[in-house]
Amino acid sequence: MSGGPPKALQSTGPHSLRDLPHPLAGSSSEEAVGGDSTPSPDLLMARSFGDKDLILPNGGTPAGTSSPASSSSLLNRLQLDDDIDGETRDLFVTVDDPKKHVCTMETYITYRITTKSTRVEFDLPEYSVRRRYQDFDWLRNKLEESQPTHLIPPLPEKFVVKGVVDRFSEEFVETRRKALDKFLKRITDHPVLSFNEHFNVFLTAKDLNAYKKQGMALLTRVGESVKHVTGGYKLRSRPLEFAAIGEYLDTFALKLGTIDRIAQRIIKEEIEYLVELREYGPVYSTWSALEGELAEPLEGVSACIGNCSTALEELTDDMTEDFLPVLREYILYSDSMKSVLKKRDQVQAEYEAKLEAVALRREDRPKVPADVEKCQDRMECFNADLKADMERWQNNKRQDFRQLLMGMADKNIQYYEKCLMAWESIIPLLQEKQEAK
Amino acid sequence: MEQASPDLERILQPAPVEPLGHHDAGLETAVGEEAEGVRDDERPGDGTMTENNFWLKKIEISVSEAEKRTGRNAMNMQETYTAYLIETRSVEHIDGQSVLTDSLWRRYSEFELLRNYLLVYYPHIVVPPLPEKRAEFVWHKLSADNMDPDFVERRRIGLENFLLRVASHPILCRDKIFYLFLTQEGNWKETVNETGFQLKADSRLKALNATFRVKNPDKRFTELKHYSDELQSVISHLLRVRARVADRLYGVYKVHGNYGRVFSEWSAIEKEMGDGLQSAGHHMDVYASSIDDILEDEEHYADQLKEYLFYAEALRAVCRKHELMQYDLEMAAQDLASKKQQCEELATGTVRTFSLKGMTTKLFGQETPEQREARIKVLEEQISEGEQQLKSKNLEGREFVKNAWADIERFKEQKNHDLKEALISYAVMQISMCKKGIQVWTNAKECFSKM
Repeated sequence: MSGGPPKALQSTGPHSLRDLPHPLAGSSSEEAVGGDSTPSPDLLMARSFGDKDLILPNGGTPAGTSSPASSSSLLNRLQLDDDIDGETRDLFVTVDDPKKHVCTMETYITYRITTKSTRVEFDLPEYSVRRRYQDFDWLRNKLEESQPTHLIPPLPEKFVVKGVVDRFSEEFVETRRKALDKFLKRITDHPVLSFNEHFNVFLTAKDLNAYKKQGMALLTRVGESVKHVTGGYKLRSRPLEFAAIGEYLDTFALKLGTIDRIAQRIIKEEIEYLVELREYGPVYSTWSALEGELAEPLEGVSACIGNCSTALEELTDDMTEDFLPVLREYILYSDSMKSVLKKRDQVQAEYEAKLEAVALRREDRPKVPADVEKCQDRMECFNADLKADMERWQNNKRQDFRQLLMGMADKNIQYYEKCLMAWESIIPLLQEKQEAK
Repeated sequence: MEQASPDLERILQPAPVEPLGHHDAGLETAVGEEAEGVRDDERPGDGTMTENNFWLKKIEISVSEAEKRTGRNAMNMQETYTAYLIETRSVEHIDGQSVLTDSLWRRYSEFELLRNYLLVYYPHIVVPPLPEKRAEFVWHKLSADNMDPDFVERRRIGLENFLLRVASHPILCRDKIFYLFLTQEGNWKETVNETGFQLKADSRLKALNATFRVKNPDKRFTELKHYSDELQSVISHLLRVRARVADRLYGVYKVHGNYGRVFSEWSAIEKEMGDGLQSAGHHMDVYASSIDDILEDEEHYADQLKEYLFYAEALRAVCRKHELMQYDLEMAAQDLASKKQQCEELATGTVRTFSLKGMTTKLFGQETPEQREARIKVLEEQISEGEQQLKSKNLEGREFVKNAWADIERFKEQKNHDLKEALISYAVMQISMCKKGIQVWTNAKECFSKM
């Protein structure tokens, strides 16, 4: 920060309370302090950088909280509170009930979005709307536009390139539903994104299309300004911490890609194994028809192999539906995160370029021109938002993968347990007559 | 049980070796009650041992080693082959200790010779098969090379199994050539060949001809023939598919090994997740390598199936022999009937049947009554001979059917018992594989939970 007294940012003009960019929406430090344009002290005010409901005494010094470091630690503490105490959650969103719509022009699926919330931003405590994939896509784009300093969760892939997958098959629709549900829940859990205007409309509007047509992007301050950052600046060097994030994401995406390929290969091998098993079992049946005393044992073995085949099919289905999509999601996630990192670089580059230009001009010193300060603010906001989101992302990632991999292990255990049961149950059948002899 | 045909030279065996079981090396073999009841006139009344009769002695046979040898073959060319060490031990009944009585080396071709001899001299017996000559039904990891150590090892076990089967058969165990095979290393080949068994063997062509032309084979044998054909077909199919199943299963397990490496690499960039990932990766490696032992065990099951695949061929051989004998009988009967008719025609002067003599008579003039008498005489002699032959062939045929069917019943019992055991051990293998799988994934799950 510069040494001068904090300056208020240009106001965006008179707005109703609803239209004011929400205090949590990533505005700069100046706004949060008791400035002229701040609303009444009763309102929950927060430091920017994605803090949740934090009450600051009016006029409290922002100085100590202006650095990103402490705000993020504050953030951590709040996150922890959220995790422990479910009571602070005031927004619940669910995606379910897929339905097929057949129209003259096209056939498509809609999903029911159910929202329950006590937040003031919602007029009603409960909403239920229907949305299709297109609408989710629109939402994501809007979020990216309006919250460029934040990490937006990924959507499941738009098109399925895998050849013979039926867009309307139960499995495909269910997989997609789960991913869309995850998408909305991630936004719901995000302290900044969950308050986004577009998100609200998405959850509540009867006629989303009409809203879409309005085309008025209600950008946050930072969003507005970041949008106008020209891309022409070259960053000299990424600060260490962001370089580390960048490298991490690169390796992470690489490893995930490998795991995706391995998982696909395993499923392929398992399916080929299944094909052979389905031929193998019946041969015992054929043999059984030739025999007398051996007929029952052989038939038993045939049935047993049949059961194992079914168990294997369930395993491969589960892996395809539950495991692979989540992997892919995270690969998409890390891709979009890398582009956010690049945008951040742009902002920093612009700032540094302008700062250099000023340093060279020699006039204006020691007063720093407004636009350079604006750049600095932009950069610092971005950095703070990004870091906070990264930490949140790391935590969620850990939970998600823990759950995903434990799930994979579980499915394999269940598969073997089913097979074990099948084989153990025919041992008495096989041994039977021998004793009787 | 009596000898199948009177002209076979078989010397009384010194010992009905009492063999038992099959697969493990050196197990005592014990004969069923059948051997005891076989030759009543041979049986010692008081259980004392005589020179030619070691009823109370038990014998252990094992094929304990395999060795690569080089030598010169019939065409004086260098060749490599494997020789197998056969050890015979006699077990003193009282104290159970075994003493090595014989030990010699044989190669696969000598086993084949022994078996071919047994096939000729015991056509009514379902002769135990040898392990396969060349590796078949292999899945990709298995070698089809006869010199491959795994193949040699499985063959060693198969050869031992063969000897034990022969030794535990109530009739075959008493064969002298078999006894010499176990005890006389040098000169055995010459001894076998001296029996002239190759000459006595039925030609394949003859057998094929009989199969197509026989009119009244015993129904049971016809059914048995069908059964053995179908058994061969179904077991072949089973073995083929099983090999493919093994191949695929191998692939599934091995690919999991890749997780080990990538988890390790990934753990390097993670903080809290690192340890969990790394240790889970280790379990994936364990999982991937466990398949080798699992599939090796399964080969044992495949070998058990293969034995019965080849046994089906032996069953078929007995059926073929019956068809041949029956055809022979039918031909002899037909011939006799035709001669009788000729005789009758000559005697009564009517010519109904075609005969060359009749033809030439027509062309070149009537024959004299003396000539006719002579011919009738010859025919009558032939008829008398033929009737005797037919009688003995009938007897032979009935004996054959009786003896063969007895052995077939014995074989059926053995087959049902063995295959049930095989299925049980296969199920046990599968259970073990499932338990290992559960263990590994449970371990991995725990590692994941610590991420």
